Amino acid sequence: MGKFGIRTGTITLAALALAATACGSGKATGGEAATGVDGVKTGPGVTADKITLGILTDLTGPYASFGKSLTQAQQLYFDQANAAGGVCGRKLEGLVRDHGYDAQKAVAAYTEIAPKSAAIPQFIGSPMVTALKQRIETDKMLTLPMAWATSLLGSPSIQVTGTTYDIDMINGVDFLTKEKGIKSGDKIGHLYFEGDYGQSALNGSKYAAGKLGLTIVEQKIKATDQDMSAQVSAFKDAGVKAIMVSVGPRQAASLVGVAVAKGMDIPFVGSNSAYSPQLLGTPAAPALLKNFFVMTAAAPMSAPIPSIQKLVTDYQTKYPGQAVDSGVGAGYAAALIVGDALRRACQDKDLSRQGIVDAHRSQSAWEGGFGQPMDFSRIDQPSSRASYVVKPDKSAVGGTVILKEAASSALAKEYHVPVG
Amino acid sequence: MITFLELLLNGISIGAVYALIALGFVVIFKATEVVNFAHASLLLAGGYLVARLQPVVGFWAALLIGVASAAVVGALIEFLIIRRANVGSQSVLAIVTIGVDIVLTTELTRQIGTEILALGDPWGDSVVHLGQVTIAETRIVALFTAAALISMFLLAFKYTGWGIAMRATAEDAETAALMGIRLGRVSLSAWAVAGALAAVAAVFLCVFPTPGLDRGTSLAAIKAFPAAILGGLDSTTGALAGGLIVGVTEALMTGYQNQLAFLGRGIGDVAPFLVMIVILLLRPAGLFGTRETARV
Amino acid sequence: MSDTPETIATPDSTAPREQAAAGRPALLRLASRRSSLARPLLWAAAAALAVAVPFYLEGFWLQTGLFAMSAAVGAIGIALLTGSTGQLSMGHAFFLAVGAYSYVYFADDPAAGASHALGGLGLPTPIAAVLAVVTAGVAGGLFSPIAGRLKGAYLGIATLALIFLGQHLLFNAEPVTGGYNGRAVPPMELFGLVFADSPSLVVFNVPFGSLERLWFLGLLVVLGAAAFARGVLRGRPGRAMNTIRDHEIAAGVMGVPVARYRAGVFVLSSMYGGLAGVMLALVFQRTVPDYFSVLLSLDYLAMIVIGGLGSIGGAIIGAVFVSVLPQLLTRYSDNLPLIAEPGSGGVSPAEAARILYGAAVVTVVLFLPGGLAGLFGRLRAMAAGRAALFTRAPQARLSPPPASSSPSPSPDTRR
Repeated sequence: MGKFGIRTGTITLAALALAATACGSGKATGGEAATGVDGVKTGPGVTADKITLGILTDLTGPYASFGKSLTQAQQLYFDQANAAGGVCGRKLEGLVRDHGYDAQKAVAAYTEIAPKSAAIPQFIGSPMVTALKQRIETDKMLTLPMAWATSLLGSPSIQVTGTTYDIDMINGVDFLTKEKGIKSGDKIGHLYFEGDYGQSALNGSKYAAGKLGLTIVEQKIKATDQDMSAQVSAFKDAGVKAIMVSVGPRQAASLVGVAVAKGMDIPFVGSNSAYSPQLLGTPAAPALLKNFFVMTAAAPMSAPIPSIQKLVTDYQTKYPGQAVDSGVGAGYAAALIVGDALRRACQDKDLSRQGIVDAHRSQSAWEGGFGQPMDFSRIDQPSSRASYVVKPDKSAVGGTVILKEAASSALAKEYHVPVG
Repeated sequence: MITFLELLLNGISIGAVYALIALGFVVIFKATEVVNFAHASLLLAGGYLVARLQPVVGFWAALLIGVASAAVVGALIEFLIIRRANVGSQSVLAIVTIGVDIVLTTELTRQIGTEILALGDPWGDSVVHLGQVTIAETRIVALFTAAALISMFLLAFKYTGWGIAMRATAEDAETAALMGIRLGRVSLSAWAVAGALAAVAAVFLCVFPTPGLDRGTSLAAIKAFPAAILGGLDSTTGALAGGLIVGVTEALMTGYQNQLAFLGRGIGDVAPFLVMIVILLLRPAGLFGTRETARV
Repeated sequence: MSDTPETIATPDSTAPREQAAAGRPALLRLASRRSSLARPLLWAAAAALAVAVPFYLEGFWLQTGLFAMSAAVGAIGIALLTGSTGQLSMGHAFFLAVGAYSYVYFADDPAAGASHALGGLGLPTPIAAVLAVVTAGVAGGLFSPIAGRLKGAYLGIATLALIFLGQHLLFNAEPVTGGYNGRAVPPMELFGLVFADSPSLVVFNVPFGSLERLWFLGLLVVLGAAAFARGVLRGRPGRAMNTIRDHEIAAGVMGVPVARYRAGVFVLSSMYGGLAGVMLALVFQRTVPDYFSVLLSLDYLAMIVIGGLGSIGGAIIGAVFVSVLPQLLTRYSDNLPLIAEPGSGGVSPAEAARILYGAAVVTVVLFLPGGLAGLFGRLRAMAAGRAALFTRAPQARLSPPPASSSPSPSPDTRR
């Protein structure tokens, strides 16, 4: 027994010796921030000829179609930027990881790519971004979540692009009262997902309803729910005059289809995640074309804006036969925002993570040709408060056309956004 | 009152679809005592085939092929895996079906990709007005189909040789085998039937009130679990009753969400499981399930 | 606390020694059971490897390892329930959630100033962790009217209710759970050592962040959890559990209180789930409700089948397999045939991992009775048999996989 103890002791010591030689391992300290030959300070993910950008997306989960469009559009931007000589004399490279909308996989993927990335131009899923919020802040990693919940505001390194869901809904309620004859005293329904997407949107509709003297009838559902018949019955019973829709495209189609079939000829106003052009191939199409409106901060892909038209052409050339949906515009714009932040950081000779975040936050009126200008200088405010009203359209690229140009309602302007 | 009736009718009709799925569980459980967690993927397989084939051969032919293929897939799972599995307990076989489900569902969702596939059914989005209550035509068809299929099974269990073989197997497999019943054949046919039922259920899950088949469709099958178990896993009547209870509970709790807000929003999804727990507390074998008795 | 690396390095450098000490009872028992020295040597080599890992591997692998450790603890719980007692549970994720959220609630100070007030008791973190495990056990106990009465698949489906009920609570009980936002997890603090990235700590020139620090804590917990479960299985309760699994009525006749045992094992497995949840929370640094879904429960069932039912070693091997496989595939997807880059249209790494792990469940049941653990056991027996032919056995040839520092595959405990 004593002998055995000695043996274990020896081996433990050997292990310690092994550990001690770790000074030679790649993990040993040193080599953090450096300054390149061109006098630019560099940080993680930046080498003399390459800037690596992390992409945390969903290609196999519920948001697979969105993730695919976003990722391909960003790849397109990297190719174009590299063809034009790159940024700061360095090529841009995307490092794509698919988390399938699973929080643990997302955390694992972030841990893997974070040491190698300079910024993250795409991170799908607000639960995933929320799970990593603290680490993103500690790492000072400029991150663009592809989700628009208010819980993502308030962090210097996390940049929500455009409006948040609540702003869209405020503008949506405003649109209903101005153009669809909804007036004080009316009831409007709100169908929303459990989680921060639905909750953010509901905050907006409730605020607007309170200001305009309307009553909100709530129906909360889960992403696994498919059939909205019971919800429609409840809305009908409550006598709603319009319905706000902050769910997935599938549930939106079911809601609108059932409601129209039951003779409810009322307007539906959706958040930007509630619609997908694929729905126009389903039996719900006529109902959607008739009464459905979508609030979005990004101009639709059919908008007569030169940079968007060019993007559509380029995208169709690079990915022939693939659907051009709102993900293409959103992804490209996000990549462009990160690209511009890198360019600015390069001018300041500081491509460290802090340098990139600072450069990005110094822009108070960014304008990339994709709709409204955005203000990145306020961390606790959405970067824009103006939403387009778009309408499903079978013949249009991306399945929607502009019904009303982007505008910020008076209500949205004075709205105090809850942060965190 | 109108709302109540409408919700009730909605609940009954979606409950009929759940009952069809639950019936598949029951048939397999009766024949092999295995809880088939791969049922969701059978459902997806059947629905996928119907959706893919209907533009080519039309809805009815596609439905026929889809049902037949799903039956074949079910039979293959039994023949290639369940029959050969070398395990002591049926719980392990249940876990094996989870493995099968993961493989099939992953591949099918990969095939479906990002599309929403319409089924091209003849009912479309038409609704039937019963007084002031409206209900989707598809749901009425589902209700009648489920009722017809379930009564057919009740009769088949009672009067056909296959049904007697199945009941005998459920009663005591060893004795049944000694009496000349081919257990393999009973089990194979049960899986095939379950596959076919899953395909039928898939069709009703993907038509009108929902826009079509997509990668999330199989998630609906999860609601058939409480349906099957609260009715009693070895009872066909139980499957029908369970399906209707789950459907009606869900619809009513959802419809009266505003009055029930103190339970937390979204209680409609949880309610079927709560009902299941209460029933299991009172009757551990479900409403119509046979209580296990054994002589030592 | 001082910030100079040297002063902090001193207490921490004793960690490996502490760990060896904690591992000793198990080792001693082994040594007394078998006079051969090959086994302890193997053990020591594994221990040395496990200690060295954080000094070499990057954060990504450490985190994968930590997820595997947490999964191992949870899988041991399920192995006790399903593998040894024959009860199926699909509600394990719920107990993980209870563990994770209770730890946060007990340890966190009530949050002031936030837009939604979060409750908290502000207890010392080790006490909070213990209480969290107890809470998970209590939750399991509350379910005992069901868990004691139902058997096999019936229980499996009944426990599905826990998942749905659990997620409903996680989303709605905002003052405790933080709702959809989840809550930040306060880092564990043991004997003055904080398991977080700050204050910074450098050991042998390697920066020791939260992952490196947690690695050692995780090892200790897995060892302890495995040793305890082993004790349970080897003793009287283990035999009673196996009898219930193999022949319920016979067990009853022989005087085993079947319902009480079923409920008891359910409580124990819930506590293991709770412990796994606490570990997971510490690694995640934030709890989010979406994570604790049916899929997580299914993963646990797959783990114990892949690893080999009924043995602790099997549970651990299965946990490592299921947690590490997707990461390996994702990481090396570029170099693997048949697997496409994410987004290129072919079989993506995530899909390949799911298909492989589903197929592994099926394959193991068809071709590998006893699972991976059984396979290792047979290989070892083969190696030993061959070695016996050459008069002297030099050393055992198989070392357990690096990430599991846990007891190497034990012989089938069913006997």
